[in-house]
Amino acid sequence: MRVSTAQFYMQSASQMSNKTSDVNEQMAYLSSGKRVLTAKDDAVAFGTLVGYKDDLANIDKYNRNINQAENHNSLQEVLFSDAQLILDTVKQDMLLANNGRMSDEDLQSIASQVRNSLDQLLDIANSQDENGDYLFAGYQTEKEPFSQQVDNSVTYNGDAGVRELQVAKNIKVPVSQSGEAAFNKIANALGDFSATYPVTPANLSGIAVEQANVTNRSDFNASTTPHNYTFTFKPTAADLVVTDNGGTPVFTTSTYTAGQSITFDGIEVTLSGNPLPGDNFTISQEENISIFSTINDAIEWMEKGSVSTNQEQHAVDYKTTLNQLNSVMTHISSRQVDSGIRLQVIESQRSRHLDSQLYLESGKSRIEDLDFAKAISEFEQSKIALQASQQTFSKIQNLTLFNYL
Amino acid sequence: MTVSLYQTGVSGLLAAQQQLATTGHNISNVNTDGYTRQRAEQNSALGLYNGGNYIGGGTYVQDITRLYDKFSYKEQLLNTSNLGNADAFDSRLSQLNEIMSFSGEAITKSVDQFYQSVNGVADDPSDLGLRSIVLNQAEILSSDFRSLNQNFDELEKSINGGIEQVARKISDISLELARINETILQAKDLTQAGQPNDLLDKRDQLVTELGQYTKVSTVEDNNGVMTVMVGQGTTLVAGITPLTLSVESGDPDPLQTQLRLVGRNSTVALNGAKLGGSLGASFEFRDENLAKVRSEINRLAMAISATLNNSQSDGLDLNAKQGANLFSDINTTALQESRVLSPSNNGGDLEAKVNITDVSLLPTDEFEVRYNGAIYTITNMTTGESESLGGAGTGTHATSFGFEFIEIGGVPANDDSYIIRPSENSAASMQVTLNDSAGIAASSAVEITPSDHNVSAGAVTIVDMFDPINAQAGMPMRIDVLEDPLGTFSYTITDSANVTSAPIAYTPPSQLINLPASPATATFQVEISGKPSGSGPNAPEQFFIGDAFGLGNSSNAVTMAKTQELGVANGGKETFSQSLAVSTSVVGAKASSATLIAETAQALYTQAFNRNQETSGVNLDEEAANLLKFQQAYQASSQIISVANTIFDTILAAVR
Repeated sequence: MRVSTAQFYMQSASQMSNKTSDVNEQMAYLSSGKRVLTAKDDAVAFGTLVGYKDDLANIDKYNRNINQAENHNSLQEVLFSDAQLILDTVKQDMLLANNGRMSDEDLQSIASQVRNSLDQLLDIANSQDENGDYLFAGYQTEKEPFSQQVDNSVTYNGDAGVRELQVAKNIKVPVSQSGEAAFNKIANALGDFSATYPVTPANLSGIAVEQANVTNRSDFNASTTPHNYTFTFKPTAADLVVTDNGGTPVFTTSTYTAGQSITFDGIEVTLSGNPLPGDNFTISQEENISIFSTINDAIEWMEKGSVSTNQEQHAVDYKTTLNQLNSVMTHISSRQVDSGIRLQVIESQRSRHLDSQLYLESGKSRIEDLDFAKAISEFEQSKIALQASQQTFSKIQNLTLFNYL
Repeated sequence: MTVSLYQTGVSGLLAAQQQLATTGHNISNVNTDGYTRQRAEQNSALGLYNGGNYIGGGTYVQDITRLYDKFSYKEQLLNTSNLGNADAFDSRLSQLNEIMSFSGEAITKSVDQFYQSVNGVADDPSDLGLRSIVLNQAEILSSDFRSLNQNFDELEKSINGGIEQVARKISDISLELARINETILQAKDLTQAGQPNDLLDKRDQLVTELGQYTKVSTVEDNNGVMTVMVGQGTTLVAGITPLTLSVESGDPDPLQTQLRLVGRNSTVALNGAKLGGSLGASFEFRDENLAKVRSEINRLAMAISATLNNSQSDGLDLNAKQGANLFSDINTTALQESRVLSPSNNGGDLEAKVNITDVSLLPTDEFEVRYNGAIYTITNMTTGESESLGGAGTGTHATSFGFEFIEIGGVPANDDSYIIRPSENSAASMQVTLNDSAGIAASSAVEITPSDHNVSAGAVTIVDMFDPINAQAGMPMRIDVLEDPLGTFSYTITDSANVTSAPIAYTPPSQLINLPASPATATFQVEISGKPSGSGPNAPEQFFIGDAFGLGNSSNAVTMAKTQELGVANGGKETFSQSLAVSTSVVGAKASSATLIAETAQALYTQAFNRNQETSGVNLDEEAANLLKFQQAYQASSQIISVANTIFDTILAAVR
């Protein structure tokens, strides 16, 4: 083939420039350590890569949330365990106070000790986090959730809101418990009703409500409201008459046997003790009792001092309060367990994130990272090719016939 | 008359001289672009008939020809155009690829950081510091979009500048070609073989240069005058009449400039994308690739703005007000109107706008609305899908593409058409409009709490919030759901005044309910799902809906943070960063195939160039050899004269 001089120069130049650009490109890969610098380098890999990066960024976000959720829940767990300790003391005091040999002064001093415990519990219920937000206020984090009134009763100013954080794509973990759920909604030890016993004249037999539950809510909802029922033993001929709020008898029996279950309006009541004629009490709907009112009941009971009359009713009141105190303790420990379970969920989620992070990172690296051994050998190859073409050019370019003229 | 040895010698001398001159010309033009090597064609002079024999009478140079192969030249010209096209396309797409890869990464990062800051607010909604970080990140995000859009603007501007420059250059070439044609016409003597070789080279060189910019074909007439056609056969130079190219602003989009071929009496519009060469590449890139990516980025900006604004409006801010727009509204009048482009040849005076109704349905394609005298028809210019929009004068025309076409005023004339770009200007106009960090709507307005007495697995959840303020004001409410008799579900709504509605049928597995119930204006929507059967005819499953506002409520912020992982764009299939990644990888794939095409074009061009050079290129070694050859011929011819002289002297001496 005939080769023109211009052609020779042009081709040598273009070949050398191609080789230089190869070397340059490989240098860019080598110095960045990445195989995919722009989408052009590998369009398919680029799309996958963005997916990996997305997932990794999300995991980062979730891990941050996990840390926060862990902090919040650990704090709650600690607070509940403190509350548990305080309740232990209250219960011991309560048991101590039931000792018949206690003088009025002794009882008063135990009562003031329990009052201290109440203050401590109130303090726990009003705990704030590191930002000054109230932990148990639901969504109303700027308001002190529990405040004590002049009559010692405690009111809740927060709401039922529970803050949640996303810790995985489809998993939200609660990071707060509302004060209502934590300290107010404690199951009534008696069931769905509380009993009020007459004060003067008091019942003489020690008749007490053992359980009062709604068993058929449909019948219950259809009956007269409010759901207050009065139980009277032997008012006339019948053994027991139960009247509803309007005074209408809903249950009458002439053969009451102790411990039998009394069923009316979808409610089932069992009593303990052997009633005497004239004994009476009322029950009213109360599904939950707050921790503070239970302790206030305990204090009130202690402050009655050593009672000489109505011993039977005094014992019934003691038992009711103690039962409720037990319910409180169960409730608080279940709250504590609740926080613990969340911590477990968080922990297992964290380790799942760690696993997927590892997998995503390695996937990302497989796509994106440069195989250095290969890249360096390619670089060397291009370098040698460039060198060779330069040397060939310089050798050939001075071969011309004019040298011999 | 006898043969003149003198003359024979002189003819040899003269021929050698011309050949030496030609060789010298070749050598001195060794580096001239477009030069075709020449050769002096030598012929022996017709002999003299004498005594039954022809006696040779020397030589003469018949012609100085170009060693020119028309076919290999045309092949090279074609490949020049292809190479120009492929190279221009490759370099533009590579540029776009870099813009998308690097700016795109910046946007992905700012989307990430923005959502992290929203997540921070979800964790501690009352912290003003965390809230102001959200605003800062939103500002960065929107400015990233604006700067990417600016990059596109710059790119478009530089392409338009390039087109203008090339058009000027082509006009110059056209004038020059016509001038050369004229010279050739005058210089050429039809009766003689001689060609104006260097003029022809010059003309071919100009045509080659033209070939880089557009596709070129040429026809030469008997007089050697060349007609030059560009693109798909539009005449640029007709003999000695040049036409020029002018650039005018596009219609209806002034930035999509168009080419016009300007003659003495008329002008013709040229379809830029069909021109081939680098000019064709510029048009194709600008009107297809860049426009597509731009509309994808616009749609992404729109989707982000709409999603977050929507999220904001679902919740309440620190001051218990409905969350205001975080980013500028996607449906401002100015934006709505800028989405409709009306070409200047429309006969009617209809003014229209486009209102976006659902970003997730929005395609990135351009649409055309055409009025046929009775109804409007909308056509997707990419897929060809079309829909009837009904008659004119009815105001708002809904489409199934996530937007509606709204007539503002005026009437269309028969056959008027309008170009619709649904996401036009969204990235450029993306701004953070919320400036008070307390305005971030972290809190939800209402919340549903199931009753403790519920016995079954049914649920009522809030699915949409229209008006959080009034929803909050309408609290508390209650929904009771009951299965009675077996298999027949119904629900009642109890409002804040404790008035209970008549039972309404509910069909599992789920049903949407607007609350409060009609005729009151709905403020939010809930969904009953599952089979809430209740525990008896009088004991339905109860769901209490109550006011949930609180400084510590971050439910809405959690929902907002989750929009990062939701598919919003492209029919709800792609998250924001996926949508961006798809656009980027499409550009990347195109860029890498453009590079391959450019490499192929380069190889083909090199082959054609080599073939052409094989015939027409100057080789110095060859010329050096020729130089020696002709020098020797010259010396030998001199010797002939010297011999003739000696003979003559001999004769003279004999007779002396």
